[in-house]
Amino acid sequence: MFAYYFKLGLRNLRRNPALTALMVLILAVGVAASVSTLAILHVMSGDPIPGKSERLFVPFVDNGQPDGYVSGAAPDDMQMTYPDALNLLRKHPAERATAMFATGMAVEPPRTDIPAFQAYGLAPTRAFFAMFDVPFLHGQPWTADDEARGANVVILNRTVAEKLFGDANPVGQRLIMQRQPFTVVGVLGDWNPMPRYYKLIGSGPATGEEFMIPMATAVRMELTPYGSVNCSQVRDPGYASLLASECTWIQFWFETRAAGERADLHAFLENYVGEQRKLGRLKRPVAPALYNVMEWMEVRKVVGNDTRLSAWLAFGFLILCLVNTVGLLLAKFSARASEVGIRRALGASRREIFQQFLIETGVIGLAGGVLGLLLAFGALALIGMQSRSMAAMARMDWEMLGLTFVISICAALVAGLLPTWRACQVTPAMQLKSQ
Amino acid sequence: MEIRPILSALLRNKTGPLLVAMQVALSLAILANALHIVNERREVAARPSGLQDEAATFYFSVRNLNQDTPEQMLATIRRELDVLRAVPGVASVAQVSQMPMSQSGGTTSIAADRRQQRESGYASTYFTGDSLVKTLGLKLLEGRDFHPQEIPEVNEQTNAEVPTLVIVTRPLADKLWPGAPAVGKTLYFGTGSSAPGAQVIGVVEDLISAHAERGETGIFSMIMPARQYGNGGAMYAIRSEPGQRERVMQEAEQALRKSSATPMILRIKTVEDDRKDRYRADSALSWMLVTVSALLLLITCSGIVGMATLWVNQRRKQIGVRRALGARKLDILRYFIVENVMITSAGVLGGVLLGVGLNALLVARLEMSRLPLAYLVGGAVVFWAIGILSAYGPAWRAAGISPALATRST
Amino acid sequence: MLRMTNLSKVYRTHMIETHALRGFEIDVKQGEFVTVTGPSGSGKTSFLNIAGLLEEFSSGEYILDGVNVKGLDDAARSRLRNEKLGFIFQGFNLIPDLNLFDNVDVPLRYRGFNARERKERIEDALAKVGLASRMKHYPAELSGGQQQRVAIARALAGSPKLLLADEPTGNLDTQMARGVMELLEEINAAGTTILMVTHDPELAVRTHRNVHIIDGQVSDLVRHSPSLLDAAAAPAGATA
Repeated sequence: MFAYYFKLGLRNLRRNPALTALMVLILAVGVAASVSTLAILHVMSGDPIPGKSERLFVPFVDNGQPDGYVSGAAPDDMQMTYPDALNLLRKHPAERATAMFATGMAVEPPRTDIPAFQAYGLAPTRAFFAMFDVPFLHGQPWTADDEARGANVVILNRTVAEKLFGDANPVGQRLIMQRQPFTVVGVLGDWNPMPRYYKLIGSGPATGEEFMIPMATAVRMELTPYGSVNCSQVRDPGYASLLASECTWIQFWFETRAAGERADLHAFLENYVGEQRKLGRLKRPVAPALYNVMEWMEVRKVVGNDTRLSAWLAFGFLILCLVNTVGLLLAKFSARASEVGIRRALGASRREIFQQFLIETGVIGLAGGVLGLLLAFGALALIGMQSRSMAAMARMDWEMLGLTFVISICAALVAGLLPTWRACQVTPAMQLKSQ
Repeated sequence: MEIRPILSALLRNKTGPLLVAMQVALSLAILANALHIVNERREVAARPSGLQDEAATFYFSVRNLNQDTPEQMLATIRRELDVLRAVPGVASVAQVSQMPMSQSGGTTSIAADRRQQRESGYASTYFTGDSLVKTLGLKLLEGRDFHPQEIPEVNEQTNAEVPTLVIVTRPLADKLWPGAPAVGKTLYFGTGSSAPGAQVIGVVEDLISAHAERGETGIFSMIMPARQYGNGGAMYAIRSEPGQRERVMQEAEQALRKSSATPMILRIKTVEDDRKDRYRADSALSWMLVTVSALLLLITCSGIVGMATLWVNQRRKQIGVRRALGARKLDILRYFIVENVMITSAGVLGGVLLGVGLNALLVARLEMSRLPLAYLVGGAVVFWAIGILSAYGPAWRAAGISPALATRST
Repeated sequence: MLRMTNLSKVYRTHMIETHALRGFEIDVKQGEFVTVTGPSGSGKTSFLNIAGLLEEFSSGEYILDGVNVKGLDDAARSRLRNEKLGFIFQGFNLIPDLNLFDNVDVPLRYRGFNARERKERIEDALAKVGLASRMKHYPAELSGGQQQRVAIARALAGSPKLLLADEPTGNLDTQMARGVMELLEEINAAGTTILMVTHDPELAVRTHRNVHIIDGQVSDLVRHSPSLLDAAAAPAGATA
């Protein structure tokens, strides 16, 4: 019977084409709006590193001024000071830890046809690559020895490597950066997680960091930190005093062996804060905190208010389209009262009429889903024009594709419940008498 | 006016009217809030930067690859400034630490009195080695600009001096010293007994902050005198003669590159582009809200027309009977319009309540701002108008139904 | 009261012309109770529609209560209909979403009476048909005969000069039909002219006179009971 009703539903799409077209269009528009905002939300709030997101933690230690501090107020900055980063790197109970800051360097390409340019990169410690499962196209992370010495080694991203060295493997090649010779030790594979969960504070280039050098090297070369540097106290000028100061500009991550080790890590952090307080630092009465990946994205409001607003708006819009569809379906089905009367007179039960009309509604939902999908692609393309980082997020994956049809058909079915129920109530006798 | 019978008939047949009223309510609630947000964002993006001629203003970020001593870097800066000033069509050049709406720059906390518990606010810090007021073409309302001898040379590597003179924007002055003239007053960079202070020597009308934040921080800016050097590069703001920006940009770049023996990394940006970049996301959101609003209106309209048409069709016989009983065409028209107005009114009432509720939710969860009543009132008027216009067509057709329908057998 | 002279009604569709009435003549005097009979397709309905100002006619003359109907615009015809005529339909045609009070109210609203006057008239009319106690009920709660009575009340509420009835007993069983006929006779006795279309010959016999229409023309004229009209009126209407 399903196939029969399905065919009827398809055929009835053609009946009264104007009304049907309007219904399908309105449903499609509502579905497209919802799906496109959902897709963006999905990308923004999806787990960027499933399997590890419960084991990676950002520690937060509030080193703000105690005067004028109101309990519960938002912290001035959630980055870390350089001394704290070194302390934690030196002694921690977790499996791995990394500290990083963003910076820029002037690159003088080996090829004379490309002028010097300013490159944007990251200066992490070597554990970074293992912690975030960073793929390599060529080479590998620098050695522990390189890191200890602050050696001039650099890892390039794929785009820059190809720009400077073509398709050849550049590992071992020399590159002048910030007027000093650097040796290329690796090239990153395609890696541009959106959102950039590992470094949420401070924006970066939309296509990902162009180079990575050891943090020790960047510090040795006194490279200016890019992103935000937040100083709650006046400090002396000069790089050395930046390193020694209470300014926060380093981002830090722990990786534990298992999610259950979180409590231990937290205890360790509390212990550290206690020690530091004895030394006269960290005067604010704020307990330290640990955030795993999803929590960190939440705290940093990766899904910004504007995105949430769009999602709510789309949802409200879908409801409007639904209510409208109910009205249109009522109109459509009321014109079919005579058909219902005849079918009932010929032996159809109420339940069979219900099935028939509900399936017909489902067919409309299917048509709406197809059109809605096309419109959603269009909407995502439009949204992507906003900025390059938006363009990276405005994508549709297979899950979303399926969701489009699910939303469309469910919406149609929900809208169709009342009109279908009404259609079943038609008594055979009354309708046969009338025209 | 047969209001009571119309109402009583409507209440007997609630489904259709309720669906229409719901659509009107939902649309009104969303529309009012959406348009409010659009307007807000538009206002934020329309804020004056304070610049005299934005279209003619641009800036260079210059980075020399030499390993110079700080003194050599200072000499380079002076040389580069001379080169730039010599380019024909350049009206004014100034070395500057940040540019308005560039989304990159420094902010510091400020207070009118260092004994305050909390700072009065945050201000964007513009350091300049020349006359930023002249180069950006800012409007000086009170006081004066810095004299050249008041501008110290500051080696950023070693010099920790905090400037002692400052020019503020009017909004910042009003916040710190409401109703009083600001010139001569001292403001403090932060609170606490050791917070350094600076004396206000001038007030400009507007200078938008480097990050152009929403809210008051976006219009609190300070200009401080310092020729900063020692970090291997400098930023120069340049205003060309009106209409000559493109040519001057090219010639200035060439002149600068030629003046240096070693290659330099030069980044060029115009204030116009910075403005576009800063407000792109807001603009996109606004467009999306406007599009959705338009669609909302269209869909609601079609819903009303659809329902009205359906009811007219369902009640053809009844309409014929009314005509037979003496109703004129006008009476039938009026009946349907009144019926529609009643339904739309119910929807409008629901929409106003829903709109207020929705706004409360937005304020609580999404940090949006309170909805002024005017939007709901305006929206109500719009939907009333739409309701009447949409129903007019079907009502007109209803009026055209012949009274002879009454005698026709079913 | 109602006089039609040489009246014709032609329906034109794409290629077909139908003469529903041709050279039709009729003269109904004040206080008469006239039935109009004829086979289906004879033009009875057209005649009633035209008499009731529900439709326009193609040629001829129609004078209703001294007013020449020709040339009146729609608004004027509606006004005339509202003030002078009362309608009773075969299918009752009550408005299902309104209660009895509001149903009877409908024509009065178009008349412009104030609320108090309307209330009086509605209560009187419903009392006359014996349904005053059920004023707040809805048509669906009434039997066929009761619904028709309400329709009659609706027709009477405006104190019309002429009552037009289209098969008023067609949808009723014999007992209810008898009740309605009795009511109509009462109303006629009280002074209202009644013009009734029916195909029930038994009913046709009960009235003052009967006009028989075949093919759009009056074909027979039978007087049933002597009345004061007999003496005054001259026979009207032409033969086939």
